[in-house]
Amino acid sequence: MTAKMTMVQALQQAMELKLKEDDRVILMGEDIGLNGGVFRVTDGLQAKFGEDRVIDTPLAESGIVGTAVGMALNGMIPVVEIQFLGFIYPGFEQVVSHVSRLRARTQGRYQVPMVIRTPYGAGIRGPELHSESVESFFVHVPGLKVVVPSTPYDAKGLLIAAIEDPDPVIFLEPTSMYRALKEEVPEDKYTVPLGKARVIEEGEDISIFAWGAMVQVALQAARKMKEQRGWTADVIDLRTLYPFDRDTIKASVEKTGRALIVHEAHRTGGMGAELISFINDESLFYLKAPVARVTGYDVPVPFFSLEDDYLPTVERVSRGIEQTITY
Amino acid sequence: MAYTFKLPDVGEGMAEGEIVRLLVQPGDTVAKDQPVIEVQTDKVSVELPSPVAGVVKDIPVQAGEVVPVGNPLLILETDEADGMDENGGHQTVTGDEKFESKTDEDGQQLKNVDNPVSRPRRVIAAPATRRLARELKVDIEQVQGTGPRGRVTDQDVRIFASGNGKKNVRDGEGQVSVVSTPAESASAQYREEYNPAELEERIDIRGIRKQIAEKMVRSKSTIPHVTHFDQVDVTELIDVRKRLKDEATAAGVKLTYLPFIVKAVTFALREFPVFNAMIDDDKQQIVIKKYIHIGIATDTEDGLVVPVIRDADRKSLLEIAREIESLSTRARNKALTPSDLSGGTFTISNVGGVGGMFATPVINHPEVAILATHKIEAKPVVVDREKKEFDIRDFMTISLSFDHRIIDGVQAVKFSNRIRDLLQEPLTLMLRM
Amino acid sequence: MRKSMEEQFPVRQILSPEGKLIESVDGWIDDELALDMYEKMVINRTFDRKSVTMQRQGRIGTYAPFEGQEATQVGSAMALDDQDWLFPTYRDHAAMMTFGQSILRVLLYWKGRIEGCVPPEGKHILPPYVPIATQIPHAAGVAWSSKMKGEAVASIVYFGDGATSEGDFHEGLNFASVYNAPVVFFCQNNGYAISVPMSRQMKTKTIAQKALAYDIEGIRIDGNDIFAVYLHTRQAVEKAKRGEGPTLIEAVTYRYGAHTTADDPRKYREQEKEEKIRREKYDPVDRLRRYLESKGLWDDEKEQALVQKAETIINQAVKEMESYPAPQPEDMFEHIFAEKTWNIKEQQQQVAEESDRQRKSVQKELA
Repeated sequence: MTAKMTMVQALQQAMELKLKEDDRVILMGEDIGLNGGVFRVTDGLQAKFGEDRVIDTPLAESGIVGTAVGMALNGMIPVVEIQFLGFIYPGFEQVVSHVSRLRARTQGRYQVPMVIRTPYGAGIRGPELHSESVESFFVHVPGLKVVVPSTPYDAKGLLIAAIEDPDPVIFLEPTSMYRALKEEVPEDKYTVPLGKARVIEEGEDISIFAWGAMVQVALQAARKMKEQRGWTADVIDLRTLYPFDRDTIKASVEKTGRALIVHEAHRTGGMGAELISFINDESLFYLKAPVARVTGYDVPVPFFSLEDDYLPTVERVSRGIEQTITY
Repeated sequence: MAYTFKLPDVGEGMAEGEIVRLLVQPGDTVAKDQPVIEVQTDKVSVELPSPVAGVVKDIPVQAGEVVPVGNPLLILETDEADGMDENGGHQTVTGDEKFESKTDEDGQQLKNVDNPVSRPRRVIAAPATRRLARELKVDIEQVQGTGPRGRVTDQDVRIFASGNGKKNVRDGEGQVSVVSTPAESASAQYREEYNPAELEERIDIRGIRKQIAEKMVRSKSTIPHVTHFDQVDVTELIDVRKRLKDEATAAGVKLTYLPFIVKAVTFALREFPVFNAMIDDDKQQIVIKKYIHIGIATDTEDGLVVPVIRDADRKSLLEIAREIESLSTRARNKALTPSDLSGGTFTISNVGGVGGMFATPVINHPEVAILATHKIEAKPVVVDREKKEFDIRDFMTISLSFDHRIIDGVQAVKFSNRIRDLLQEPLTLMLRM
Repeated sequence: MRKSMEEQFPVRQILSPEGKLIESVDGWIDDELALDMYEKMVINRTFDRKSVTMQRQGRIGTYAPFEGQEATQVGSAMALDDQDWLFPTYRDHAAMMTFGQSILRVLLYWKGRIEGCVPPEGKHILPPYVPIATQIPHAAGVAWSSKMKGEAVASIVYFGDGATSEGDFHEGLNFASVYNAPVVFFCQNNGYAISVPMSRQMKTKTIAQKALAYDIEGIRIDGNDIFAVYLHTRQAVEKAKRGEGPTLIEAVTYRYGAHTTADDPRKYREQEKEEKIRREKYDPVDRLRRYLESKGLWDDEKEQALVQKAETIINQAVKEMESYPAPQPEDMFEHIFAEKTWNIKEQQQQVAEESDRQRKSVQKELA
């Protein structure tokens, strides 16, 4: 049984399934209960599972993450919502100093299986600091897994897998994709494994890597270039940024000999740099051209009147494809 | 004071030259601009004139030696102390000779800087190309790049790997050394077994021969060739030529059939521009040329050269005839300049004088087609089958090779037919002049 | 007239500095428990002095001494039940060891060994928290979940006076207050956050009064009075287990030594003078000894024997620490994730190869 649904609905189903099947699972966050979350991702769940399992917390990101650590230490599986990625910074110390390393510090005696869900990214005309895309902060921290769905199907399967993962997972939900597309999603439980990329389209001339909202941009650009120039591309949604899917990346790059990375995060020190470094380590001598990046810029995500100029566009990605193939 | 004359880049981005002849000896007095050494490069054979007047002290090269650009050719004792550094840019000898060429160059030598192969270097090549070179056991630093910005392409590496058994190259110190390739070690084994020194003569592939070899390999390894054959009734053309010949002779020009063929081809090219094109392999684009420069394959003592008649479509029969005559004379005298040999868009190879019916000419890469014209022969033709009436007419066979990547067979036949028709009815040719 | 905060939150004492009982401890503390308290304080003090000495000999790394705070740590930890949770800072080794952490593990920690973080089986003792106050929300979270699970388990979280300026202190107290979590917030107010005295840390004269903001109980006790520490902590723990919510305890005390062995307290306080007064008048160990002596429970002979015992125990632990198997470089890759990711595996392999190369080159040199 499948139903056509948005990413919001798919995420909701994932959490509902896990709340139903596992007593240890609780949801914590600001405005997630009665209000159903600012994006309505947890809408109706408090009514179904009660205030003790779908918890409206005080407005304190460090307190939320910190108490969730305590919950996890004591055998619960907290699924925390941080209202926007741009608001996580008060809780960042908890993430970096404790969430990520308690397992190692206690040599496995304690673990903190938890999921920190947070909407992220630009493209919805949000106010300041509502459009951040700082995934590489988390990728850089040892002990965290970082997951970014781009479709309703993946969102549900990845979130269930994240909740079931014994390690802490930063789960970044692209706000502009929350309701952008609907697809058939199984009603039943399924998982999409962490650490596995999805090859959306296969081609010969270039490998394009993207995640979150940039997957659609990359895909459109690839299709445009196929139509206009006859070039075909591997379009790959990484889905998990840590640990990223080395085998898929390597195989694709070694097949096409060219790679392009699209991310909306700032360029310098972004995930793209890590991927280029990986390609350099693993597949350098298969490259016919330098690996290209189409990214946001090294500026704060601008006020939304300029947000479209900041974000990678189909045109920019197409140009990146062209420059790389005709290099 | 001592002055060192170094091998300049006399071609378009050439890397080395072969010393053909020394025109002076140590002790000779030379005048400024007096030819002193004859050098043959990949493209041309030139006499190098001395930049200064003086007495030859030393000639550190010998005839037959291949010398990299920038290496000393001649050391002169000269009184010309000034002017040269600013204008001529050629340095007097100092203690640290080998570091000079980079720092003190005139316009001509600045060109060397643009050319990555003319200085101690790392060639530019994509990592994938470097891997290919490693797999083929090619020292990529020895490969001349033909890609964008002088990049070594996969193809350059393949050509290098397949085309060279032994290659004299410059090492980092500017010395000439010998680089082994697999082909050489295989032949070394062969030498041991058969002691062939008495049975064989070994001739280094260099100069124009090397250039030809590389071009042929590149063409055949890149272009899927297809050749189309036909015959052209040139009875009328013979008549027309006969009638025009004397007038041409009066104008001092020897009128052959070739100018007619050139004209016919230019008209056909205008109608079928895809034959007047090249493929940019790296960018995967077809480049249609809007000018028509016809290359004339010309046999010389050293081998095949292809001087070019520029804008042939805009020149008269007489002008073309005159130019063909001049180019072939210069080719035989090894007096062609680099510009005589570059820029062709379509090549005609007239082998009629030598004989044969058909050939499969090799396209002059990066062009996309080549036309060979063969011997004219009288043949019987059926005039009336019923009455068994025959006529005798003159026929010339033609062979058209084309790049099947961008030209389909039907197109090629149509193009060939157009050339045939124009030559069969020279009046229609006149109509277009 | 409105009472001042110091009046509202008086420093509670049970044992006077002279060792006299101010109020009865019947039903709470018997002679056996009092003797046990004394023994634990002496052993911990011996440990602390030994550690400072070893740091100066280069046998362990930087060390955070607690001498002067034995009563706050030993007394509070003794008030816990086995299944309770303890969240220590980097200065709370006495509390950890009292609650069950081995001396060896604590020494290993300061020797720079991650093994020092591992608690004994069945005991909930978190590793020392280094970033200030960050443990407070954890304790609130554990306590909150104990409540959810319907378990009669309490959490105690240690922190200093400086920590009360941190957001996590307030967030932790607020969460515990909102969800009525069974947690004891145990502040050892030793007067200094490294160099900054309490008067520059906050305008309030007490820390206990901060409980008012969260509508939870706040009490202020003499941290050098182990009876007061034990009794009030025990009451807070029992209250928590009854479901009556969190308590903020401010235990007023003093550290004799430096913040850590990398610190020189003479830069920010009249160290010799202050230490002398404190030791003479307010020392927590001497105070209990005077009490025990007054009850005829203690004498010099017993003291000699205890000192001997303490030294034997500590020396034994030091010996174990120094003969503990050397760490392997590959070990750092263990327990980063439940299952090693490819990145971790690859890097571990690289390190293994590197240490193998080093071993071989050493062997070669020796040969």
